[in-house]
Amino acid sequence: MNADDPKKIDPSGSEPVAESWSVPIWLILIFGLLFYWGQLFLAENAGGFSKDVYGPFHSDDDVANANPQDPEAKMRAEGKRVFDNTCVLCHQATGLGKEGTAPPLAGSEWVQAAKGDRIARIVLNGLTGTINVKGQDYNLTMLAWRDNYNDDQIAAVLTYIRSQWGNKGGPITPDVVKSARAESHPGPETSDELLKIPVQ
Amino acid sequence: MMTLFGSALTWLLLASLLGLLNSLKFHAPGLLASQPYLSYGRVHAAQSASFLYGFAVPAAVGLGLWLLCRLGRTTLAGPTIVFVGAIVWNTAVTLGVAGILCGGSTGYEYFEMPAWCVPILFLAYLMIGLCGLFTFHQRQPERLYPSQWFVVGALFWFPWIFSTAALTLLCMPARGVLQATTAWWYARNFDTVFLGFAGLASAFYFIPKLLGRPLHSHYLAAFAFWTLALFGGFGGMPESAPLPLWIISLSLVGTVLTVVPILAIVLNFYETVRHHLNMLDADHVLRFTYVGLFFWLIASVQQIIGALPSVSGITDFTWFGAAQKELVHYGFFAMTLSGALYYIVPSLLKLPTSAWCPKLLRVHFWFMLLGVLISYLSLLVAGIGQGVLLANTGNSFIEVMLRTMMPLRMSTLGDLLVVVSIAVFLANFAGMVMQSCRQCWLARKEAL
Amino acid sequence: MNGGPLLFVGLLATMAFSWTGFILAPQIQLGSMGQTNTVPIGDASPLTYPLAQSGEAHAGAEIYRANGCAACHTEMVCATNLGTDVFRGWGLRRSVAEDYLLQQPVMLGSQRIGPDLANFGRRADTNGIYLRLYDPRLITPKSVMPAYRFLFETHKIGLFPSRDAIVLPDQDAPTAGYEIIPKPQARALAAYLLNLRQDGYLFEAPPPPQPKTNAVSTNAVAAKPAK
Repeated sequence: MNADDPKKIDPSGSEPVAESWSVPIWLILIFGLLFYWGQLFLAENAGGFSKDVYGPFHSDDDVANANPQDPEAKMRAEGKRVFDNTCVLCHQATGLGKEGTAPPLAGSEWVQAAKGDRIARIVLNGLTGTINVKGQDYNLTMLAWRDNYNDDQIAAVLTYIRSQWGNKGGPITPDVVKSARAESHPGPETSDELLKIPVQ
Repeated sequence: MMTLFGSALTWLLLASLLGLLNSLKFHAPGLLASQPYLSYGRVHAAQSASFLYGFAVPAAVGLGLWLLCRLGRTTLAGPTIVFVGAIVWNTAVTLGVAGILCGGSTGYEYFEMPAWCVPILFLAYLMIGLCGLFTFHQRQPERLYPSQWFVVGALFWFPWIFSTAALTLLCMPARGVLQATTAWWYARNFDTVFLGFAGLASAFYFIPKLLGRPLHSHYLAAFAFWTLALFGGFGGMPESAPLPLWIISLSLVGTVLTVVPILAIVLNFYETVRHHLNMLDADHVLRFTYVGLFFWLIASVQQIIGALPSVSGITDFTWFGAAQKELVHYGFFAMTLSGALYYIVPSLLKLPTSAWCPKLLRVHFWFMLLGVLISYLSLLVAGIGQGVLLANTGNSFIEVMLRTMMPLRMSTLGDLLVVVSIAVFLANFAGMVMQSCRQCWLARKEAL
Repeated sequence: MNGGPLLFVGLLATMAFSWTGFILAPQIQLGSMGQTNTVPIGDASPLTYPLAQSGEAHAGAEIYRANGCAACHTEMVCATNLGTDVFRGWGLRRSVAEDYLLQQPVMLGSQRIGPDLANFGRRADTNGIYLRLYDPRLITPKSVMPAYRFLFETHKIGLFPSRDAIVLPDQDAPTAGYEIIPKPQARALAAYLLNLRQDGYLFEAPPPPQPKTNAVSTNAVAAKPAK
């Protein structure tokens, strides 16, 4: 390279030039389609950009479900869903009930009894007349839910209320609800009838 | 610049020799194993480092500088600095490769140069790169030609990925698997973007120039350039990596989207050469460039196919990846640069292009082509075979290895041919230098 | 497209694109990962995971790195839908980012010329490691793994034979009165290899629902009987 004025060098031979044909439309289309595919692929296969999702799982839920499940936890989760759907309207989210509407579930000796036969019947068939809960009398009416929920769901909600608000009670299996459904008569329960059922 | 090229070629020869040695170790595992300096792992790292940092970077940079001068209708800015930079770079690489053989490799693929070497390399590169920047700056105010974008892109890309890798792997090592992420990202960017840009710059320059026809489309080249810049480096994570799914999926999407620049480049060149294929055999530079470009196409397509989950489940961590690397490094980059050098060296030495020894040139071309083909195809067969056999749990690992030995041993033949071709090239190159020196000396004698 | 500045800005932007996607974003998400607890099976209690390597294992990692073992061995177990690793007994489960938290350097490797080593510590023992390093063909007759004899030294037996002296078959045994013991590098490497285990299931890599099948193991040939 000679040391001439750098701007005035013109080497032998001509340099290539480029014509100006435009980019074919089909190439742009392919680009667009591939880009679109890419977005769809990422929506499906990026695991929500979560750091916990590794192949072959696709979402955080998949991973959570693949982990060993605690069956009681699952029941409580389902029971909470049922409770929030229906029971909370009268018994309140605090489980303390409401004057003139529903007795409390929190700390209730009925809820925490060793066996769940009585509360299963209450939920299945409803309740009329006076009932004594935590030393107080409640003279209210509860609707029957035997036609609205199946045994699993009622067992789940009973498990839920027995573990909430400081309540100490074990889970209720669907069999308990099933036998309660079979043995009891449709039509609201009364406190006296229920007290005849053994729960120890 | 001659220093850059001369040293690059020497390193290429050394790298290929190391590769041959490693390939031979598969025939006789005890070969040279008694000393730690030539054990397989160290030789592998040394081979990789000497190819990438001894040959590829200087060759790419040298080519880039030359193209910037030619297309900018100007001379190189700061040639002394470039010369010093080349000396420093080569010293650093020499010491680094020796360090690797003594056990100083960093353990990261593509980034094996020992930690103490890295700042020296970076400094040397900065010296040369800044000269390149100034050369670009003092260009004649004309429309930029595609090769210039590719060259500037490559010159810009390398220090960025190199420094990122250096910081995240060596200075402030990232925690855990993020080291691997960086290493894979670096490798992908190095191969697809840095080497890709350099080789494509050469192709974009020499094919239209030597055919005497204009490049088909400026806009298509721009489209290819930007999409390759965007998606070329956007990947590199193997499907089976211990990384969250989103990183793998993102990598896959980026890799698949490199279809777009591939199509754009293929279309551009196809339209350019379409009616002039009869000139295919006319010019040796063109032959190298065509073959190089063809191999680039195959390698890029293989990269995309290899990233697909159904394929990578079989081909990940097999010889498939090694085949791909062979194709990109030797088939595409070394061949394209060889062709470029056959033009550039006489022009720099002010010799006519007929000054090359044609017999040696032919040997170089055919041996390199055959060598790459044999090497690539046998590694590809070995890789796919290994993957398919391993997918069957009835085959124990050692059985699978033994059954892939045959194609692996064939690849040694390919390696040998490549080594011979490079030695021949180096001889030819030395011959040219000597001719130039003799001319210079004669001219000086006459002047007296 | 003409301007130098436009070119640079464009290159910077495209480079930043891939840098953000693969360097920055993973660092933000995984960079502050800490130790976690394993997912217990049955009544087992959760354990802290991962545990730090011992100092000797850390030194061994340097030997592994210096000798380029990662050129032939990977250290990651593939998911069951992407490879037969778990079926080959190379691990209980696929590898995840948590597994490499406390490793330095992290050498995942990229090629399996030799088997995967992510869980080598679960299936290896010290003597086996020494034998294999000294001459892999003692354990696997047709292995292509190079012999790392420079990690061992032969010296005269002193008052008592070394506890670590490796036991070789007759034709390879040293001359009488001499024993072959591993050098400190070999010991460190063995410590590192024995430390390679990815025990315990994690939230992101839960236990599989079905029992694993027992497939053919890594080495088809048993060791030669040593005297």
